[in-house]
Amino acid sequence: MSVNQKSNWELLKNGMFGENTIFRMAISLCPSIAVTNGMKNGVALGVAVVFVQTMVNFTVSLIRTFIHPKIRIPIFMLIIAGYVTIIDMLMSTYARPVYKEIGLYIQIIVAFASIFARAEVFASKNKIIPSAIDGFGSGVGFLLAMIVISFFRELLGKGELYGYSLISGNPLLIMILPAGGFLAVGLLMGFFNWIDMRFFGGKGASGV
Amino acid sequence: MNTGEMAKITFNLVVLYVIGGLIMAYVYAVTSPIKFQKEKAEKEAALLLMMPEADKVDKLGDWHPHEKHAEYYAARKCGELKINMVKDEKTGEMKEERECLNPEDIGYIAEGYGKGYSSYIHILTSVDKSFIIKKISILGHGETPGLGDEIEKDYFINQFEGKSSDNMVVIKGEAPDQIEAITGATISSRAVTEDGVKNGVKMLEEKLSGEVQ
Repeated sequence: MSVNQKSNWELLKNGMFGENTIFRMAISLCPSIAVTNGMKNGVALGVAVVFVQTMVNFTVSLIRTFIHPKIRIPIFMLIIAGYVTIIDMLMSTYARPVYKEIGLYIQIIVAFASIFARAEVFASKNKIIPSAIDGFGSGVGFLLAMIVISFFRELLGKGELYGYSLISGNPLLIMILPAGGFLAVGLLMGFFNWIDMRFFGGKGASGV
Repeated sequence: MNTGEMAKITFNLVVLYVIGGLIMAYVYAVTSPIKFQKEKAEKEAALLLMMPEADKVDKLGDWHPHEKHAEYYAARKCGELKINMVKDEKTGEMKEERECLNPEDIGYIAEGYGKGYSSYIHILTSVDKSFIIKKISILGHGETPGLGDEIEKDYFINQFEGKSSDNMVVIKGEAPDQIEAITGATISSRAVTEDGVKNGVKMLEEKLSGEVQ
């Protein structure tokens, strides 16, 4: 068992950049490509993920000694699905205006590989506070990735930012379609790899 | 794996799932009645908006699209609004009470469901007496954010005004007489147009055309 030795700040930074869900780990690409055709959507999904990921990591770490290692996967599944279901029920009852805005995003988190990965890699082996910080950092990393991807897709694909019209004329329609999502994610991933290798001496995402 | 370990694993799994299930059941039991009330109030508010010139909306009956319960309504305008002064029995004060005389049907509203990409889309459709669509409204859905959820936007919904059930066909590209598909969300556009709205209007035509003539 590898036990965490990093400081809280290092944990946060690791989640945001070093092991960024989208650009370094390349997981949870499917929901992120579906929603990043506008900044509003991207931010909403990102915020929902930050919250659920922190809570799931916290809970997994809390009960990690009760979980038999052989059945940890179905237990993680239960915790993630349970949180999503409960948040969905509570929001649809007590916060209907908010629910109308981000209810759809909460529901698609049920099948999120990134949350699963943090529970498996980190929270199941570490204490509660570092686990919650790791979940938060990783969630923020995801949120940042959503913002960057949706910034380019919305600007190029619709000529808008956060719903406000900026550029008139014919936008590049392909950027708001799924194909444009793959293009944007691929090019940005390459760009961040290049920065990492050029300025920080990293090996790039494929060298892990 | 020996029997002891198997029993341990089973016990572990059962205990945690039962706890999780109980928590979810508890939250559901607490929230669902409140949620039901709120959804009902929202639907009533939405019904009045469907036909703003009507004075009241009365339920006519039930139907079951996709095995779900839905209702249909008549929007009525009062021939004459008689204002009666009645004495409130508790306070003894005089107050106005409106009485609707000779109500006349000015249109109908159908509640319906369309089978979308990842959910059933809950729709209200209002038509005038000759079954020409006046307005549609999306009450709820679980389509993909950013693509399918464009069905809520005005540019899509406003296309329906003034069209009949025969025009309820989704076309990719310009279509002034039919409905233009949303880019990247053809299935959701079809679900609203060719399923929810079309079947709703057809149901109204079948059930009510006898009464109208």
